[in-house]
Amino acid sequence: MCCCLCPQEPAMKVPVSVIRLPRGPDGTSRGFDPNSPRYQALSPVSISTAGCGNEASLEREQQGRVALRERYLRSLFAMVGRTIHFTMYERVNVSAFFDASDIDILNFQVSDLQTPLGVHREALLRCSDIISYTFEL
Amino acid sequence: MAMRQTPLTCSGHTRPVVDLAFSDITPYGYFLISACKDGKPMLRQGDTGDWIGTFLGHKGAVWGATLNRDATKAATAAADFTAKVWDAVSGDELITLAHKHIVKSVNFTEDSNYLLTGGQDKLLRIYDLSKPEAEPQVVSGHTSGIKKALWSSDDKQILSADDKTLRLWDRNTMTEVKAINVAMSVSSMEYVPEGEILVVTYGRTIAFHSAETLEQIKSFEAPATVNSASLHPEKEFIVAGGEDFKLYKYDYNTGEELESYKGHFGPIHCVRFSPDGELYASGSEDGTLRLWQTTVGKTYGLWKCVVPGKNFVYIFGKTLLHHNLSKSYTTNSQLKVRPARVTSFL
Repeated sequence: MCCCLCPQEPAMKVPVSVIRLPRGPDGTSRGFDPNSPRYQALSPVSISTAGCGNEASLEREQQGRVALRERYLRSLFAMVGRTIHFTMYERVNVSAFFDASDIDILNFQVSDLQTPLGVHREALLRCSDIISYTFEL
Repeated sequence: MAMRQTPLTCSGHTRPVVDLAFSDITPYGYFLISACKDGKPMLRQGDTGDWIGTFLGHKGAVWGATLNRDATKAATAAADFTAKVWDAVSGDELITLAHKHIVKSVNFTEDSNYLLTGGQDKLLRIYDLSKPEAEPQVVSGHTSGIKKALWSSDDKQILSADDKTLRLWDRNTMTEVKAINVAMSVSSMEYVPEGEILVVTYGRTIAFHSAETLEQIKSFEAPATVNSASLHPEKEFIVAGGEDFKLYKYDYNTGEELESYKGHFGPIHCVRFSPDGELYASGSEDGTLRLWQTTVGKTYGLWKCVVPGKNFVYIFGKTLLHHNLSKSYTTNSQLKVRPARVTSFL
């Protein structure tokens, strides 16, 4: 009559639950998704060196890259608090106040994002979705 | 509540999986590479088994595969007489290293700057990956095909195994330091830096040797021929698998067999513990990789812990009682207990 009204272990073992099965190959590509966080953080820079290998031109190119990078980072500072107009894919144009960028320049944090669907108080824009942006100094 | 192990099967390979290796733990988790006779080694996320990509380029069975510590580079050894180095982030082939015979084993140094290869031509080769066009340093001495070659002692020494011997070499002088004979053909070798332990399998034996002196520390016998064994990072357990298609888990200190699992449909060729010791992976003749929990029932990766007492009901005659006796339900007939996965609350 009584089965197990007790903390005793029942005779059968219960299989461990799984959330889902491991994902397999998608059959169409060799993988290495370029949109994965690891790929975006670790993959080689999009513009590879044009230097032909000799030390002097490599050094000059490096100096050029350093100067450009510094200019860009300073431009990000200049953007804070200003209204930026973003041109995105699929003919989308939005504007917002720029708050911050993440360290890998993968996402922009913005506020009062004006979209055709309404205004988003706070939003995160994926940089890979942005074609260009402009702002007034 | 007794839990039954649920292995996670990773499919995708079409031929036997003959080697597998984990990376260290990286900021993006840890990774697993599998070598397969179909010539297409695959990279997977280590804790879930999710496929990340396939390295395409080899023209023959891939016998050995490895990752560098942070899983940014992969290396493979194949029957097409080449070893290849790959970018493990983009999947691109970086370097092809031509050999004179089937290559069986590849291993990176800790800094990923040098690659050690070994194969059927009985020679150990050390390639400087910053100068891949340069000739490798060659170490000869083996009298039969090399099955596995590994860096040891902070990359200052090399351990290698062929059919009959285990050898220790000094990297600087490129000379043999020690050699011992093994009773039967070595099927696998794993080097554990913490403690300088070498795990070797041959016949039904799982043996542990000092990586510095090659002397045997201890050994266990398995019920069937063992093809591969791996030591847990905390040195509590050993897992092994072989010709009887089963996986065995032993207590490393006592040698007691703790658990065994059926599941594969063919002989197991390789087993390895993950770097955090929470799971182990097995590769088999059946073309699959399976992931097994070290602690069955623990929430980790894709496994979800079902807390005993929270989800179960007790049966008393015709009455179902909620676990904390807060509710009860009566039925008209005797309740039957069916083995089932209980995943919902009442």
